Amino acid sequence: MTGTGAVSHGIDLTGAEVSLLGKRLLGPVTLNISERRVGIIGRNGSGKSTLLRLIAGLVAPSAGQVRVDGIDPSGDRKGLIARLGILFQNPDHQIIFPIVEEELAFGLRQMGLGKVEALAQAKARLVAEGRGHWAGRPVSSLSQGQRQYLCLLAVLMMEPATLLLDEPFSGLDIPTARGLAAHLARLSQRLLVVTHDPLVAQAYDRVIWLEGGLVKGDGTPDAVLPAYLTAMEAADAGPDFGA
Amino acid sequence: MLGLTSAHKTWMHRLPVGPKLALLALFSVVLFWLDNLWPMLVALVLVAALVASGGAGFARQALRLLQPVWFFVALLAVWHLWLNDPLNGLRIALRLVVAVTAANLVTLTSRLSDMIDLIERLLGRKVALTLGLALRFVPVLGERAAMLSLAWRARSQKRAAWRLVPGLTVGAFDEADHMAEALRARGGLV
Ligand SMILES: Nc1ncnc2c1ncn2[C@@H]1O[C@H](COP(=O)(O)OP(=O)(O)OP(=O)(O)O)[C@@H](O)[C@H]1O
Ligand SMILES: [Mg+2]
Repeated sequence: MTGTGAVSHGIDLTGAEVSLLGKRLLGPVTLNISERRVGIIGRNGSGKSTLLRLIAGLVAPSAGQVRVDGIDPSGDRKGLIARLGILFQNPDHQIIFPIVEEELAFGLRQMGLGKVEALAQAKARLVAEGRGHWAGRPVSSLSQGQRQYLCLLAVLMMEPATLLLDEPFSGLDIPTARGLAAHLARLSQRLLVVTHDPLVAQAYDRVIWLEGGLVKGDGTPDAVLPAYLTAMEAADAGPDFGA
Repeated sequence: MLGLTSAHKTWMHRLPVGPKLALLALFSVVLFWLDNLWPMLVALVLVAALVASGGAGFARQALRLLQPVWFFVALLAVWHLWLNDPLNGLRIALRLVVAVTAANLVTLTSRLSDMIDLIERLLGRKVALTLGLALRFVPVLGERAAMLSLAWRARSQKRAAWRLVPGLTVGAFDEADHMAEALRARGGLV
């Protein structure tokens, strides 16, 4: 397989902010993340996806600084994709190619593999996952949950040392979600996972709670989750669609 | 990818794209260089024979692809009759029909991904990937239009038609944004 197999030293954000058209969506956030399993929680619109996009270098910070293993994610793209992979919240925004095996092979080719070799690895991986018959299928013929699974596979195949997963379980059926959770648990990589499921977050080393673009809570699950759940269940919480 | 490749499999499908395109180029040059009617008729018989060799279904498809050409042929006929130069009109019309049929033969019998591979070998990965992505947008927009009209029908009894256009336009820009981000997430055009 490809991939660096490298160990991630950590993610550093220093006063990092994301603004769009003069409106601040996130920050300032200062975080040093070196744990292996980190959950990101918070209400809809609190900035979870924005934080992941910032760390993945898909947006540059409008103020402050971001470093992944010491490199600037929005500046050094080549260095970053060898180290970090991101699973988008919406699989349809992530898939580039119309055929399953092409989608999987693309990431490997980006990492320098030849076309034939990349396609062979893509096929082999599908077979290993019990989904060999997907290889030549049009992506549009997969269900939403199946497409999400495909996106995850595409990212995993690049074997980055850090994985950012934006609600990876949201569209999956129970066996697939369990299988995925077990698979993720076995990975040696650093995982940053956005989740709304307290049970998932409970098993992590660290939980970061975002609210209105700022860090509201940060620490072990036992230190953060009770306050978070109390806040979520507060009767007067009302709908907050992050206006 | 796109449905340009004929589903009626012929022996021409098995030939590699490179030589087919090279032959097409050579054939077109000779065709436009020819001045006499007789060799042109021979060329017509040749492409007709190739089309026929693919079977009835394949031939029908090839004929259907000629539809836009008939209009120009009619235009040429009228124009040259008016100029009182029917022979020249016939020559140009023959050239047009033969050249377009020959080009269609290559498209019908080649996979788009094979053609893109060839472009990649000739012009590099960036050009090929860009072309592939541009072509991929055609079905994406089609799907998008279908989704929008479903969303419309779910909440309205009237037909949607032109009122989907703004949504489709915004959607196209959105789609382009997402595509750019998806590419960036996996290293872009490096
Ligand atoms: N492209 C954009 N243009 C303007 N505002 C945006 C854009 N993307 C996100 N926002 C705003 O930024 C804020 C944070 O959005 P973000 O997507 O990070 O939230 P989230 O925590 O991931 O929410 P969810 O749980 O719904 O996925 C929201 O208030 C949202 O309205
Ligand atoms: Mg989100």
